Amino acid sequence: MLIFMASCTGLVDGINDNPNDLAIEDVDAALFLTGAQLANIVAQGGHLNRISGMYSGQLVGITSLYSNIYGYALSTAESVSTWSRIYIGVVTNTRHIIREAPDDKLLTGMAKVLEAHAIGTAASLFGDIPYGEINNTEIADPKFDDQMSVLNAVQSLLDGAIEDLSPSASRPLSVDIHFGGNPDAWREVAYTLKARYYLQMKDYTSAYAAALNGISSDVNSMKYVPRGDANNSEGDKNLFWEILEGSRAGDIGTENSYLMQLLDASSGISRNNAKTDEAARFGYYSIESESGAANTGIIEQFEPQNLVSYAENQLILAETGTRTQDAATGLDALNALRAWLNTGAGVNANFQGEPFLYEAYELADFESGGMENADGIATERALLREIIEERYVSGFGMYMPFNDARRLRKDDTDIAVPYVLVDGPAAPYPERMPYSDDELNANENAPDEDPGIFVKTMVNE
Amino acid sequence: MKRLLLLINFLLVATWTMAQVTVTGVVTDASGEAMIGVNVYETGTTNGTTTDLDGKYTLEVKDANSTLTFSYIGMQEQTIDVAGQSTVNLEMRDDSQLLDEVVVTALGFEERKDEMGASSTAINTDAVARSGEAGVINGLSAKASNVRIIRSNGDPGAGSAIRIRGANTISGNGSPLIVVDGVPLGNSTDYGGGNNITGGRTGGVSQQSRLNDINPNDIASMQVLKGASAAALWGSRAANGVIVITTKDGALGKPKISYKASVSFDQITERVPLQDTWGQGRNGSYSPTSAESWGDYIPDRSGAADVVDESGEFFTAADGTVYYPIEEKNSTATFVDSNQDNVFQTGGFVQHDFSISGGSEKASYYFGLGRLDQEGIVKNSDYDRTNVRFNNKMYLADWLTLSTKAAYTLTSSNRIQQNSNTAGLMLGFLRTPPDFDMTDYIGTYTSSSGEEVAGRHRSYRRYLGNAVNPTYNNPLWTINEQTATSNVNRYVINPQITITPVNQLQFILRGSADISDDKRVYFFPISSGGDRSPGIFAEDIIGRQAVNFDAIAKSNFDITGDIGLAATLGWSVNDRRYRRNSGQITGFLVNARKETTSLNTAAESSQFENFKTHRRSNRGYGVLGFDFFDKVFLNLSGNLEASSTISGRFFYPAADVAWQFAENAGPLSFGKIRAAWGRVGVEPAPHRFQTLAEGGFAYSTYSDPIDIALFGGGFRIDDDLGNPNLSPEIKTEWEIGTDLRFLRDKLGVGITYYSNVINDILISVELSPSSGYDTQYGNFGAMKNNGLELDLNWEAYRNSDMKLDVFTNFSRNRNEVTDLFGTETINLTPGASVSSRAIVGYPLGVLFGTGSQTDDAGNYILDENGFPQLTASPEVLGDPNPDWRLGGGLNFSWKGLTLNAVIEHSHGGEFSPRSLWVLRRFGTTQETANRLTLDQDLTNFDGDVIPAGTTVRGNIEDFGAGPVLLDETWYRHGIGGGFGDNQVYNFSIADATFTKIRELSLSYKLGSNLFNEKINGITVGVSTRNWFYWDNIDGIDPEISQTGVGAGQGLEYFTNPATKSLLITLGVDF
Repeated sequence: MLIFMASCTGLVDGINDNPNDLAIEDVDAALFLTGAQLANIVAQGGHLNRISGMYSGQLVGITSLYSNIYGYALSTAESVSTWSRIYIGVVTNTRHIIREAPDDKLLTGMAKVLEAHAIGTAASLFGDIPYGEINNTEIADPKFDDQMSVLNAVQSLLDGAIEDLSPSASRPLSVDIHFGGNPDAWREVAYTLKARYYLQMKDYTSAYAAALNGISSDVNSMKYVPRGDANNSEGDKNLFWEILEGSRAGDIGTENSYLMQLLDASSGISRNNAKTDEAARFGYYSIESESGAANTGIIEQFEPQNLVSYAENQLILAETGTRTQDAATGLDALNALRAWLNTGAGVNANFQGEPFLYEAYELADFESGGMENADGIATERALLREIIEERYVSGFGMYMPFNDARRLRKDDTDIAVPYVLVDGPAAPYPERMPYSDDELNANENAPDEDPGIFVKTMVNE
Repeated sequence: MKRLLLLINFLLVATWTMAQVTVTGVVTDASGEAMIGVNVYETGTTNGTTTDLDGKYTLEVKDANSTLTFSYIGMQEQTIDVAGQSTVNLEMRDDSQLLDEVVVTALGFEERKDEMGASSTAINTDAVARSGEAGVINGLSAKASNVRIIRSNGDPGAGSAIRIRGANTISGNGSPLIVVDGVPLGNSTDYGGGNNITGGRTGGVSQQSRLNDINPNDIASMQVLKGASAAALWGSRAANGVIVITTKDGALGKPKISYKASVSFDQITERVPLQDTWGQGRNGSYSPTSAESWGDYIPDRSGAADVVDESGEFFTAADGTVYYPIEEKNSTATFVDSNQDNVFQTGGFVQHDFSISGGSEKASYYFGLGRLDQEGIVKNSDYDRTNVRFNNKMYLADWLTLSTKAAYTLTSSNRIQQNSNTAGLMLGFLRTPPDFDMTDYIGTYTSSSGEEVAGRHRSYRRYLGNAVNPTYNNPLWTINEQTATSNVNRYVINPQITITPVNQLQFILRGSADISDDKRVYFFPISSGGDRSPGIFAEDIIGRQAVNFDAIAKSNFDITGDIGLAATLGWSVNDRRYRRNSGQITGFLVNARKETTSLNTAAESSQFENFKTHRRSNRGYGVLGFDFFDKVFLNLSGNLEASSTISGRFFYPAADVAWQFAENAGPLSFGKIRAAWGRVGVEPAPHRFQTLAEGGFAYSTYSDPIDIALFGGGFRIDDDLGNPNLSPEIKTEWEIGTDLRFLRDKLGVGITYYSNVINDILISVELSPSSGYDTQYGNFGAMKNNGLELDLNWEAYRNSDMKLDVFTNFSRNRNEVTDLFGTETINLTPGASVSSRAIVGYPLGVLFGTGSQTDDAGNYILDENGFPQLTASPEVLGDPNPDWRLGGGLNFSWKGLTLNAVIEHSHGGEFSPRSLWVLRRFGTTQETANRLTLDQDLTNFDGDVIPAGTTVRGNIEDFGAGPVLLDETWYRHGIGGGFGDNQVYNFSIADATFTKIRELSLSYKLGSNLFNEKINGITVGVSTRNWFYWDNIDGIDPEISQTGVGAGQGLEYFTNPATKSLLITLGVDF
């Protein structure tokens, strides 16, 4: 009994509180936003993005790991980092913000958009993923939900975000590295994301409706904008530049990929025509793989990376407008983008001195025998084919080309970009990214093994 | 409880009611000197007294038939009948015989070993002091069964791990608890922030073990409590056993002054055999900037002067020697020996030990002063230690004793960068080609345009100093230009008050404070290898503080005539704090050597980091010791512990029983059977309850980091999920054993078998990422051990002039990791291509890496050229735990001459000397230097057929499909030498068996009472330490460890070498 009295816990209570790191409750919820944004940036523009670029004929794996992956030797280990950035880096922190600052609608709105962006990307890349049971301390092993239900949940999340992001929520917010706390820009991004996911769900009517409220100008494009000291080679630079400037120099580049051939006036499959000169974009897109520093174009160290862009929204309007309204509606949207490109906005200052031309198309150009319909297919199909090709080009550096390729493979092969993997394997091309090795190992509700990269996801079945 | 009080009451009353006959006498020791402080009491009562300064006592006893009991620590207790005499004189007898051996328990009390049910091994402290080791830990090698010392390397002051009965934890502290004079003494080995500059524990410098702060000469006794039962009172700190140390007290009598000086001469034990026939280069051609020595055959060179290009860049060494770009290498000079001599020296130490001790009836004292000055075998490495100790005891009244033990230690040292670290010593040294002279390592580089840069580093890969980064350090830069100093001040003070109101009851109040500060400075000047080339100056200031308070009540009494009970009740509070402040300046504006932040005052070049821990435990404990008929002894103990690091409280019970079944039965003079069961723990790491807000992180998907610090800072929810339900790791152990003595106690044997399971092992496990967190620290593992221990002591011969004692100990331990809750492997040594891991079904620490594919029969699956093929994934390559170990020795004396020998044999186990493996790629070892003319066509690793008659550099090997040629294609760019995860590391695994003669010493004591009795004796001695040894790895001592003090073992990677010594000692007793 004496022993029992002597060993009371009162003497030791509270001592185990961590003296080195701050407790979560000590930190203002807004301070978790930047980290979630950074995690989202690498998930959207990092390793799996580069792999998706290789699998859609845009990039070429030259040596080491990227050449193995280019040859379809893609292990579940390659998804570990991106998966973790999405579920831990983004969602754990956005959920915390939503929980801790429910009345700060600007914050909750941004957090919802980030989560929808990250989870939507995960659903489109991996297929069925955990969502309904995630981030619940009571559930160690969340079950996997089907892809369609996750995308529907993402739509609801975006609806909630749009509601939160009313203009009145506006205030300057330095922790928002994308828009500095501008709710209008965030709301437009939310609409474009809705359109993106409706497009993937092949709900073109809803996609069109959402895109009408989507990103209205390039200023409101959501981008990762590198910054900092030019002598500092990593941590705040263009992600592609970082890998080539570091130990992965020479591993991956554009080489003579299908994308580059499309832009190259001298190739047999060039998309240049009387109204289109892609010389500047060809130069801008060419990646010098031997080092980061050798690049002045799309992966120059300070070159922004598109996450959700004006071009994407405009091209959704063009595609879904053509599909659900009429060809003229679609064409107008395409020509609006071409007019913007014709200002030199599609390349950076280093390439604006090179020739470019994006004259407005006319419907006649897509009619049988027109300049974009030499093979005499239906006008609307020809227009759609041009729109999809523009998505393929404008989407360089995003998941868009990979997503389109998979989306159109079922019923729309006539308008899909008929890419090949130069110096790489032949079709069939991958239909998804493998699950994270860590999730497969730790989660009892995960499949025993990954279904493989050639299995179609639900929306593309 | 009521009964106990009644008994005490009765005894108190009894004290006052008798006294009729007066007895006086003098108590002396064997040499006839009066003994002060001997307890004299009437047998079976509390009526007693102690002897005075002249050894005299006076005691009134009940009647002339009473008996008197005389007792004194370290002496045999004796009972004498008064038998009507009024004077009873007595000569106390030494207790050094095996009979009545006294052991010190976990609480610091002395008990008779013969009455204990748990195994406990006494260490011969003279042998530790005599071992020739500068630190006490290494001195424990071979001294007791199942006490294994795992060294880091031979650097002065380098720490070592102590492992008792194998591994008992995976991520927790694997060292035993050290209890000095009844209170825990910190024995951490902190790697701190400075090692991170060079890649953490697998790089950097060796760090010290804080137990080595104690001076071996101040130790009076040392006891190893291996089992859970003996250690259970220490609860969550006792899973790895307890080492109980008692420091010296003053012996009663006139002041004894002694002085001892030791001089040690240390040398490198083993040198990696380096070749001197093949030049720097690749593919048989010389290249002065190549990393490797797969160049030309040196004897084939013309021997003329090298042809150089004097038209452009050049390097001017400190002594004016000028180096130009080499166009044609003609010189046949090689520098293997001179390079070696540039770096290594005969090191050693000088140690002075001075002590004064003595006492009167009112007080006793011991004063010890020690000073060690050690120089390493690597030039410029050193370790100095100053120890001051004052132990004093005051007998304030019959019932009140006050003792204070205070010690101060100052250590300072300079360590040499080592291990996996391009600024480390052995990495640059062993990779240096034989035809590179490293002497000129610093100077001025002049570019072809005439630009001069002073202070440039000339290394074998940058022999013109034409880059700020030398790639690998020139070893002379490592030892002369880089510094890594450590300065530790440590104060330990233990006051204790003992109150004895009556003879059978004692109260002890014991406190202690153990406070140290440790300042470490790391300095890499501009042009040091790797990331350090812009210059780094870093400082770690580490403070440690441990405060302990114990209140203990002890009572002994007889329940009936045949049943005795000793009860102990205690309460203890222990509070430990750790604090580290680390600052760093990276990138010097000025190429100077001054350790100052002025080297770069730009804000962005400096970093500051702060790390603290605090833990406290609060324990209540009790021990009940029953004695039945003086034959059977039963101990029950319990310890209820509340600790800041666990949720709630935890109870640690233990029980042991001893049965003395034989006494003087034929040749068997004593026989005891013992059994024990107990539970001990390992406390969780501190501050792991909460999930935190983490600032400072970077996200990457594949070599594309994006850093929050560069985006205005910010936080994330820590991806390591907190765990508020942590409980200690629990080891439950039982053991049975016997202690037997034969031939009138001349031969003693102790045998123990033990078996334990360790549950709730604390590790970090990976969570489902979709749950929102990456990892969680918690009770997620299990392990088990069993083993056998045998200790044997034999007084082989003894007469008045001659004495021969022999001892031996044998131990084996079998460990198996039984559960990791789904985690496949835990890497105990991150960063190494061959790692030491925890894997279910294997012993802790197994070596793990890629190997060769084999079929079911174990034969290699060969490629079409007859070479092994790499396994697709890493696999278990070996087990670094020894199969069994044997220690032994003898002590022989004849008149003044004494001969001591201690030998240790460690049998089996595996070791991966990765330096040797990587050096195959570099082509600097003799293994790669063989030159032969083929007598048959042979295929090499690349599949090229080399025709008979060709003279090649290589070896012939048969992997199972006929002979093949191992040449540069195998060793340098194939899978048979090099780094990374694509090597057949199964061939890098070697047998770790070794035998070392730890000590061989001869000393002579010149008489006694010399120089008019001013000097009591002079002893001179000569001894060796680890001088004679045998192992199976040519060039690397399997006792060194790349990862220093920790759970990982069996690895080496350009680790600084081990040492051996020759010592001379001189001792004078006044």
